[in-house]
Amino acid sequence: MSVKAPNIQNGLALQSSIAMIMTLVSFSMLFATLFLGYVAYRFTADVWPPMGMQRASLLIPTISTFTILLSSLSYFALEKSVFNKDWKKAKAYFYLTLTLGSCFMGFQFLLWRDLKLTGIFVDSTVFGSIIYAFTWIHAAHVVAGMLALLFLIPAIHQTIDEEKGMIRTKSVGQFWHFLGIVWFLIFFGIFVF
Amino acid sequence: MAFYEQHIHPKPTTFLSKYIFSYDHKVIGKQFLWYGILFLFVGGLMALMIRWTLAYPGQPFPVIGSFLFPETGGAVPADTYAMLFTMHGTIMIFYAITPILIGCFGNYCIPLMLGARDMAFPLLNMLSFHLAALSGLILMGSLFTPLGAAAGGWTSYPTLSTLIGSPGMGQTLWSLAIFVLGVSSTMGAVNYITTIITLRAPGMGYFDMPLTIWGLGLTAVLNAIFLPVLGAGVLLLIFDRLFGTTFFLAGAAATTGTGDPVLFQHVFWIFGHPEVYILILPAWGIVSDLLSFFARKPAFGAKATALAMTSITILSTLVYGHHMFTTQMSPLLTQTFMTLTMTISIPSAIFFANWLGTIWKGSIRFHSPMLFSLGVVFVFGLGGLTGLYLGTVTTDLYLHDTYFVVGHFHYTMAASVLLGGFAAIYFWMPKMFGTIMNEFWAKIHFWITMLGLNGVFFAMMLVGYGGMHRRIYNPFIYEFTQKLIPLNTFATWSAIIMGFAQIIFVVNFVYAVFFKKEKASQNPWEVGTLEWTIPSPAPHYNFKEIPVVKCGPHELGNPNLGNGRDFQYQTEELA
Repeated sequence: MSVKAPNIQNGLALQSSIAMIMTLVSFSMLFATLFLGYVAYRFTADVWPPMGMQRASLLIPTISTFTILLSSLSYFALEKSVFNKDWKKAKAYFYLTLTLGSCFMGFQFLLWRDLKLTGIFVDSTVFGSIIYAFTWIHAAHVVAGMLALLFLIPAIHQTIDEEKGMIRTKSVGQFWHFLGIVWFLIFFGIFVF
Repeated sequence: MAFYEQHIHPKPTTFLSKYIFSYDHKVIGKQFLWYGILFLFVGGLMALMIRWTLAYPGQPFPVIGSFLFPETGGAVPADTYAMLFTMHGTIMIFYAITPILIGCFGNYCIPLMLGARDMAFPLLNMLSFHLAALSGLILMGSLFTPLGAAAGGWTSYPTLSTLIGSPGMGQTLWSLAIFVLGVSSTMGAVNYITTIITLRAPGMGYFDMPLTIWGLGLTAVLNAIFLPVLGAGVLLLIFDRLFGTTFFLAGAAATTGTGDPVLFQHVFWIFGHPEVYILILPAWGIVSDLLSFFARKPAFGAKATALAMTSITILSTLVYGHHMFTTQMSPLLTQTFMTLTMTISIPSAIFFANWLGTIWKGSIRFHSPMLFSLGVVFVFGLGGLTGLYLGTVTTDLYLHDTYFVVGHFHYTMAASVLLGGFAAIYFWMPKMFGTIMNEFWAKIHFWITMLGLNGVFFAMMLVGYGGMHRRIYNPFIYEFTQKLIPLNTFATWSAIIMGFAQIIFVVNFVYAVFFKKEKASQNPWEVGTLEWTIPSPAPHYNFKEIPVVKCGPHELGNPNLGNGRDFQYQTEELA
C-alpha cells in the first residue's frame, strides 16, 4: 500500500470547510423543515391569508432584503481584502458589515411593530404564527452570525496568525451568506407570494 | 489520509482542566459514559415502576413507593404513570443510549481507531458535553415542576403535548431539553464527520477503517441531517406552548385554528425513523468488529457490511411514513412507504449474513464482549423480523399502538443497543481505564441480562398480539385483557431480575475503575486496530508518532503470519 505524506499546508482550511458545510447542511434542514410546514399550511388552506387577515406591508421586508444583500456584498469585499492582506479596507468592510447586520436587526424590530399595527399577531391564526416564528428564528441566527463576526476582530487586527484569520473569515462568511439566502427565501416565500 | 498532523496538547494539571473542562476526547468520552450510566439507572427505575403497575395495578411500589407517592399509599398514580412512560422513553433514548454509544464510544474510539491525537475540534467537543449536561439538568428539573413532567409520550404528539393536553411547565421543559440536546448532538456529529474525513492516519483508506468507525460515522451523518428536523418541530411546539402560536392546534382546540397536529407527526418521524438507525448503527459497527476479533477471522464481506450499513442509512431517510399508517394516509402513500420499508430487509440481510459468515468455523473465544455481541446478533434478528409485521400495512393496522410495537422496538432499540453498549464497555475497558473487568461476573451479568430482557420483551410482543394497548394505566379493566395478567407478571419479574443483574455490572465496573490493582496489558484481546498499539490506558496524547497504516483492521488467522501471533497490527505490512 503506498502512503502519501500528509498535506499540512491546506489541512486546516479543508477541515474548516468540511465542518462548515456539515454545519450549513444542519441549519438548512432546520429551515427546510419550517418551509415544509409552511408549504403544508399554505396549500391546505382554502384562502391565504385566512379570512379576516391582510397581507403584511412589503416596505420593511423589502428594505431588510436590500440591507442583508448589501451586508453580504460588503462581506465579499471584506473577504477579498483579507485575502489580499489589505487590512485597512478589511477593517472598513468589517465594520460596514457589522453595521448593516445591526440595521437588519433594527428593521426586524420595526417589522414586528408594523405587523402588530396591521393586526397580525403571533396568536392570530397560523398565518401570523408563521411570519413571527420564521422571522424570530432567522433573527436569532442573525444575532449568532453577528457574534461570529466579532470573532473576526483578532483576524482583521492581525493579532492571530494570518492563515488562521483567513480560515475564520471564510467560515464566518459562509454562514453570513447562508443567512442572506434564508432571508431571501422568507421574503419571497412568505411576504411576496 | 490525515490532512495534517495535530500537535501534542500539554497535559492538564488541575482537577477542573482534567475532569470538568477537559478538551481531551478520552475524558469527554468517559464523561458521556458516566452521564449515560446515571441516566440508565434513572430510566431503568422508571421502567420498573411501569412494569410493576402493569403486573400489580394499584399496589404499592416496593421499598420507595410510599416515599415517592404518599398520596396513593405507594401505588403509582395514573397521571404519574403517563409521566413515567414519557420520561422513561425519553431518558433511555436520548440520555442513556445516545451518550453511551455515540457520546462515549464515538469520542473515545474515533481518534484512537483512526490514529489521531484528538478530535478535529476539541473545544466544540467539550461544549457538546456541557450542553448535554445542561439538557439533562433541564429534563430532570421538569420532574419537580408543579404539574409534573411531560406526559405526552416520548413522541410528544400534539394535542397531548400542547397546553390543552399537558398544562404546566413539564412539557415545555421537555421540549427545551430536547432542543438543547439536539444542538449538542449536532455539534458532536459535525466533529465526528470532520475528524473521520480529515484525521485518518496516513495510509488509512475508508475501507481500512474499523466497522465501528463506519457505524459511528454514518450515525453522525444522520444526526447532522435529521436532528435539526426535530429541532424545528420542538421549537414550534415551544412557540405553541409559550407564545400562543397555533402550529399544532386544529379545530375546536384552537381559538382561531388552522394548525395541523398531524404535521408534528410528520416532522417527528422524518427525524424519528433515522433516529432508530442513529442508535443502532454504532452497535452494528461495534458488533461487526468484535465478532471478527473474537472469532479470530477476518470480518466476512467487510466492504459489503460497510456498504450495506450505508444503504440502510440512505433508505432510513425514506421510510418514515410506516409509523403513520393509521393517520388516514393515502393508500398510494402507504403502499409506497411499505415497499421502501421492505427494501431495508435486503441490506440488513446482507450484513446479518456477513455476521454469520464471520463466526462460521471461527476459533471463537467466548469472552464477555463476544457473548454480548452474539447476544446482539440474536436479539437484533428477532427485533428485525418482527419489524416486518409493523412495516406491512395490513398487519400494522391491527398491531399499531399495541404492546407488540413496544416489544419490537425494545428488541431493536433497547436490547440490541444495550447489549452492544455492554460489549463495547467490556471490550474497551482496558484501554479506557487500564483494567479488565472480572470475566466471571461479566458472564453472569450477560446471561441474566439476556434471559431477563428476552423475558420482558418477548412477553411484551405476546400481550400486544393478544390485543393489549400501550400507554394504558390499567389495561385490565377490559375483560379480554385479563387473561394477559400472568404474562404481564412474568414480564415484570423478568424486568426485576434484569434490573438486579445490573448491580453486578455496576459493582464490577466501579471495582475495576477505582479499586482493581492488577493492570491490563497493552493488548489483552490480541487485536490489531490502532488503539491497541499504544499503552493501556491510552496516554493523553494518544500517539507519540502518528501511525502509518498498512493493512485493514481484521487481519486475523492469516496462515502466512510467522510471528507467533494469529493477528497483525494495522501498522504492519500484510503478511
